[in-house]
Amino acid sequence: MASPWTDPRASRALVVGWLAAVFAISALTDLHALAAVAAVALLVFRRGLGRSLRRAARSVVPLSAGLSAISWAFLWAVRGARPDVEPFVALTLRTTIIAFVTFAVLDRANLFRAFEPWPTATRLLVLTLAQIHALRLLATDSLQGLRSRLLRKPRARDVVRSAGGVTAAMFTLSARNAREISEAMRSRGF
Amino acid sequence: MHVPDGFLSPQITVPAYAVSAPLWAWAARRHFGRASAESLPVIGSLTALAFVVQTIMIPVPGGTSTHLVGMTLLALLYHPLVAFVCESLVLLVQALFFGAGGITVLGVNALAMGLLGPLAGWLVWKALRRLNEKVAVFAAAYVSMQVATLAVAGALGLQHALSARYFPVPLAVVLPATMIPSLTAAGLAEGAFTLFTLSLLRKANLRGVSLD
Repeated sequence: MASPWTDPRASRALVVGWLAAVFAISALTDLHALAAVAAVALLVFRRGLGRSLRRAARSVVPLSAGLSAISWAFLWAVRGARPDVEPFVALTLRTTIIAFVTFAVLDRANLFRAFEPWPTATRLLVLTLAQIHALRLLATDSLQGLRSRLLRKPRARDVVRSAGGVTAAMFTLSARNAREISEAMRSRGF
Repeated sequence: MHVPDGFLSPQITVPAYAVSAPLWAWAARRHFGRASAESLPVIGSLTALAFVVQTIMIPVPGGTSTHLVGMTLLALLYHPLVAFVCESLVLLVQALFFGAGGITVLGVNALAMGLLGPLAGWLVWKALRRLNEKVAVFAAAYVSMQVATLAVAGALGLQHALSARYFPVPLAVVLPATMIPSLTAAGLAEGAFTLFTLSLLRKANLRGVSLD
């Protein structure tokens, strides 16, 4: 059975619903409310649960939990009194729920379908993503080349010097390539 | 450096969108308006370039790393508003396709890293370029990084002032935590990167790439 989200209207509705949901979640501070929202989100997005949770755990939890723990410990040391834990837990929970909902929605929504009524936006997205893909490959190759040329680990100065050269090359390649893609898309009615 | 979703409440994120939205419209009309068929590839490639530049990590003593922003380069080559549009697109792509940063804080991040930083850098470059161009470019990139970081720290500090229950970390902690790496490593790296890239772009003698 085809996914319901391949329909442009369904994808658009999902994206709009996601926007409303993340803004609403970003207003919550109460732990009970956040726990209830987390339970609802886990239930609604149970398909692909592990994948979305893993992505959220990798990309957001280390930063927000680390920042919360360090700040809490620092404030305890400076003030001499133990700060209330609840706001720190709420901060970590809020960021994690938003990340989970975002990853779960991005797994389901077809953003190109959602943007279909706006051909200029679609063209810009395609151009940008195509260039990002090509340039990331070039940047990774260049960094590996830099590592292979040096006997030691690259230092900040090496990385910055190399980045300057790569950026100039990327700029030239990217502008030429983007123009070609844009003309190809225009000739296909975008 | 940018603020992730959930760190700022709608009290800040909604007004930031309200400020950003007309600026996006104005910037798009002014710099990418009528000839959008011609300018779209340029916006796309500049956005992609900025995105990739932001993935280049700079090792910082202590085992961590920071990243370049690359927006001063665009502000100096084109205009601060071009940098604003491109950085906003970078942040949008990061939020939509890579789950980084966030959609609720897009306005705040775009204003800090895409507008205030590059605008400050551009003004510094304008003021110093007659004295020494290389110094002017380096100082512009360095100042741009500091202003952008300060703006991010300010937004977090404001959130704490509005509601300590929402964001429990005071400005006294946020400010040194963000500014020390920015002043000692990220700003210097951004300055060196902007200087190297501009000199290489000049040597390449590309059409439409000029500081004049």
